[in-house]
Amino acid sequence: MTRPQRTAAFIASRLASVVLTIAGATLLLFLMVRLVPGDFTSVMLGPRATPELRAQITHDMGLDRSMIEQLWLFASRAATGNFGEDVVSHRPILDIVLDVIPNTLALAFSALALALVAGIPIGVIAALKPGSWLDSGLALLSISFITTPTLVVSVILFLVFAIGLHWLPVAGAGDPGDIMDRLQHLILPSVALALGWVGYISRLVRAALLDTLAELHVRTLRAYGVSEYRIVGLYALKLALVPVVSILGIGLGDLIGSSVVVEIIFARSGIGSLIFNSIAQRNYPVVQACVVFIVAFYIVANLVVDMINALLDPRIAAGRG
Amino acid sequence: MAISLRNLSVDYSLSQGTAHALRGVSLDIQKGELLGLVGESGSGKSTVAFALMGLLANNAKVTSGTATIDGKSFDLTKRNATAALRGRGMAMIFQDPMLSLNPVFTIGTQLCEVLRRRAPNGDRKTRVAMAEDALDKVKLSNPRRRMNQYPHELSGGMRQRVVIAMALLSEPALLIADEPTTALDVTVEAQIMREIISLRDRIGCAVLLITHSLGLVTEYCDKLSVLYAGERLESGTVREVQRQPGHPYTRMLFDCEVPIDRERHADASENRFTVISGDLPDPRRRPPGCIFNGRCDVSFDECATINPDDYPVGNDAGHSARCLRLRAS
Repeated sequence: MTRPQRTAAFIASRLASVVLTIAGATLLLFLMVRLVPGDFTSVMLGPRATPELRAQITHDMGLDRSMIEQLWLFASRAATGNFGEDVVSHRPILDIVLDVIPNTLALAFSALALALVAGIPIGVIAALKPGSWLDSGLALLSISFITTPTLVVSVILFLVFAIGLHWLPVAGAGDPGDIMDRLQHLILPSVALALGWVGYISRLVRAALLDTLAELHVRTLRAYGVSEYRIVGLYALKLALVPVVSILGIGLGDLIGSSVVVEIIFARSGIGSLIFNSIAQRNYPVVQACVVFIVAFYIVANLVVDMINALLDPRIAAGRG
Repeated sequence: MAISLRNLSVDYSLSQGTAHALRGVSLDIQKGELLGLVGESGSGKSTVAFALMGLLANNAKVTSGTATIDGKSFDLTKRNATAALRGRGMAMIFQDPMLSLNPVFTIGTQLCEVLRRRAPNGDRKTRVAMAEDALDKVKLSNPRRRMNQYPHELSGGMRQRVVIAMALLSEPALLIADEPTTALDVTVEAQIMREIISLRDRIGCAVLLITHSLGLVTEYCDKLSVLYAGERLESGTVREVQRQPGHPYTRMLFDCEVPIDRERHADASENRFTVISGDLPDPRRRPPGCIFNGRCDVSFDECATINPDDYPVGNDAGHSARCLRLRAS
């Protein structure tokens, strides 16, 4: 096969596995919600609900049908993006989820961008002079970033910059029509979400770079007089980014998970706060839809990660990586 | 004199003490000449190369040594003394071509990077054309296609040709080839050696060929230096040394080579390979006297106490060896 054919085959095989994974995750999710012990309606409506109301909800949610029938209904509807109507607000669940998703994506990606923009240079600088004072200082900084919980970082940022100094807005996601306002509202939450990842990425980059710098091809470049800055910042870095990008794919799940905390503290609407509120209301269909979206996001993100890695390291696309 | 190395000594600090890897090694290579530096594993031959390039490991320390290249002297005890020469005055070909190229950059990018150093102001197009031309000169088929390929798409021999093309592009005064064919198929060995010779012919550089194979040296080199446990025991033209080895170690090395026409016994266990019994001395504690004393088959009492000078062998001015038997008595 030629190189473009190999690349196409690689992408096709990855896409097929994405479809299968989403289908599998959806099935698992469906069973999990149904297999939770206890009467669904009594949890949702409380102990004093009338039998009529219970029957009504049971019927509305399709819980009076057989499991196979329910599964078929859920899967066939979910495949077309129909997650049913919310029994609380009587709005389509899809609309509710789609309303809040842009906020969460904006938060997750700005946090990710921040983590990369700060984390990679810190890692590179630390790797330039391993064992130096600078390296040790950056190690201390990175590790304190990693070990401080997102909750604590959020509260401190919130108290200092929003309440104490009044530099940035306190809460919410900002006026939907005003981009500057939205960006201002994004700063504190994304810093809070990114900080741990800055530390994590810088440590990963440093370790991967030091491993790469010990390889023989680096010696070749040195022997031919290539400057140490070009070696570290270009030739070794491209190779060192492969494991870092792989871990980012897994880390994106964590990022969405942590966004629950951040969205609640900064009172942003988003998938995190929606899940939190829906669980509090025992509104399982909404939770279910949210989780399907998170699973899909996570899988697509990992597909993108694989493709970035195939671009970084041609041996991966050739099936030898 | 194109290249000379004087009195090179290198120590490695190890957890169990200091290993003296090289002691007072000197070499001379004329322009256009191939010098073979022969020795067994652990004799310090690669350390000579990396000390010249200034690319020794962090735990190595050059305690003495001066290199003179094209009339300029460099104090090798200073780290990075020869940094300015890398990729210009000096180039190197490495032992393992499977590992000596970066796997995530194309051949073209890596060749052009070498050119950036030599012609910092040149534009990309010129560099690409020069790199392609170099690939053509080292007889890599289809050079235009190779430029866009990655190292894993090439065989070991092809990758070694790429590294030779790098050396060609940097037009060095001294080319160091550190076991350039050891990791390759025997059938590729002759081709790679031919490319190194043709590079020498094109540029007229001096070549330091580091190898454990006497066969390679006698076939391709003009001069020969024998390294043993960090000391140079003999040097001279290949013809003279082969005709009349001055040091017992050199003679024993020649005896170890298996001649292709040697008579073979039907019973394999009857075939006797010549071996030099014993091991290299401990590099942390150099024994007094001759360094080869423990393994020598013609040593006498004084060999254990007197460290021999470099004595001339025969009538050839360039041929000398460090053996007490050569003392004019």
